[in-house]
Amino acid sequence: MQITLHNVVPIPLKDKLQQRPSDIWNTQQTLKPGEWIKIKAPSGTGKTTLTHILYKLRFDYLGNVLWNDQDIRTVTGGALAEKRQQQLSIIFQDLRLFNNLTARENIELNRVLQQPHYETNMVDAMAEKLGVAHILNQRAGLCSYGEQQRIAIIRALVQPFEFLLMDEPFSHLDKANTAIAAALIAEECTKRKAAFVLTDLDDDDHFNYTRKLNL
Amino acid sequence: MLNILLKKLIKTASGRTRFVMAVIGLSVALLLILSAVQIQANYNELLNGKTNQDSTANFLVVNKEVNNATINATTLSDDELKRLSQLPFIDAVGNISPGRFKASAESYTKTFPFYTDIAFESVPDEFIDINSKDWKWQQGSDFIPMIIPNMFLDIYNFQFAVSQGYPQITPDLLKAMSFKINMYNPNGTVQYYTGRIVGFSDRISSVLVPQNFMDWANKNYGSNASGKPSRVVIRTKDPGNPALVGYLKQNGLTTDADKTRFSKYRQIVNAVVNVSWVTGAVMLLFALLIFTLFIQLTIASCKEEIQLLITLGAAPKQLQGFLMKRFFPSNIVITVLSLVVITVLQYILHGILQKQHIFVSAYPSYYTLGVAVIILLSLWLLNYTTIKKYIKNS
Repeated sequence: MQITLHNVVPIPLKDKLQQRPSDIWNTQQTLKPGEWIKIKAPSGTGKTTLTHILYKLRFDYLGNVLWNDQDIRTVTGGALAEKRQQQLSIIFQDLRLFNNLTARENIELNRVLQQPHYETNMVDAMAEKLGVAHILNQRAGLCSYGEQQRIAIIRALVQPFEFLLMDEPFSHLDKANTAIAAALIAEECTKRKAAFVLTDLDDDDHFNYTRKLNL
Repeated sequence: MLNILLKKLIKTASGRTRFVMAVIGLSVALLLILSAVQIQANYNELLNGKTNQDSTANFLVVNKEVNNATINATTLSDDELKRLSQLPFIDAVGNISPGRFKASAESYTKTFPFYTDIAFESVPDEFIDINSKDWKWQQGSDFIPMIIPNMFLDIYNFQFAVSQGYPQITPDLLKAMSFKINMYNPNGTVQYYTGRIVGFSDRISSVLVPQNFMDWANKNYGSNASGKPSRVVIRTKDPGNPALVGYLKQNGLTTDADKTRFSKYRQIVNAVVNVSWVTGAVMLLFALLIFTLFIQLTIASCKEEIQLLITLGAAPKQLQGFLMKRFFPSNIVITVLSLVVITVLQYILHGILQKQHIFVSAYPSYYTLGVAVIILLSLWLLNYTTIKKYIKNS
């Protein structure tokens, strides 16, 4: 899967963005299959906005976004669900877990939405790796942010995808846990030959990025 | 697995009382509507069913009431006959032609002597319920077949024979006897024919001869009196039809009251069926409204969960399918239960009526099943469109 941006400008940030150069906003940019892309940006310049636009959660922008060759404004209903089940996975900055479900149920839900990519033992294996195996049967709402973030990472990795969108995915993790989580993400993306886009505030070397872009 | 998780996320418990109310409302509504259909079906069966038909039920002899105003003026005009034949609840009208000549009958034998003046009437064959190979007459033939009312024989056997000390006569014996029929010309000459009774009827209380004999005889022996009928026989599907009874009354016509006595019962049945219909329809409407509201409420109360599910990649179809599975089976259960109740009631009714020699089917009619299926389909459509609409909106 390839994502193309044609002169995309979020309407709320329009005035602010015209005053500074960007590799993404108001220009042509193609995120090619298999690319590992880091997007660095200070607060308030639209990292979350970009992630949401790429995932088709908001429409208040000028220009066009294409999934492969299709304008995402035309992808709706069943076709949109199909994309999100098979080609696009996401880790939200605000995590977005179901608080009333247990950690395991949150992960299971995304695993069984489509024909499962992994068996359920893979969930345990990943949870073991990230050190959250002991809270799997706890309600997600009762977990700490650090635990919730790791659950959200595992949830994103149990489904099939060609493109992984990550919005500050390690914001609640310490260095050691970040390294372990990044290694798991790298492993899963390599297995799938998948591309990813990671947005963050600062430079980092968690991954072997193909490109680093400024927002 | 997905359904278990969705069940945890999309809870319907919040509106349980509403759900119970909707279920009760829907059940009562369905019961009322289905019983209305079933009662109507039973009534139609009683009217048209073979087992319940008797030979007189569907034929009525109609004439003007004889009172001070109509005395000696009871003939029915062409206009009146035309209007009768055009009424939707009357299938056919047969004129009863009166004989316009004088005739008498007497016995050939001395052992059973009698003599009587006699008059004939005739109706088209399709209104006669006697199938006899002798029921025909050809010009030149001096044999006249006759049909007399059963009542005549009864009067003779149980009244006349008893009081006069005469022997009783069986119908077969009477049919085997021939009579001498004298026909009088207006100029006074007499011609003789042989008459024989070929059948007994309950339908028309008159001495009947074949129509073509009557036409010929009226021409040859008839006076110039009006050939217009004073009586007609009508065929109708439902002699108890209140509309028919009302029409006859309005136009000063009269008929065998016994045959139209169902009219009053019929009005009551109609009223019951109509009340049942209307109540059922109104209740169905409210029950559907409550059901729709219940679905809306459930979806609205889980709006955030549904949004996040769609964000994560749940297809609207998956959610619709899940919600249909939650809501629609209750509709099927209600419909099936209503049908079961109707079936049991019908079976009981069948048993009760059978004892009174009234035959209705032991099972619900196809119409009842059909209406149940139609209602179920409408329920499915309502569920489907409501769910689709509100999933799309959330």
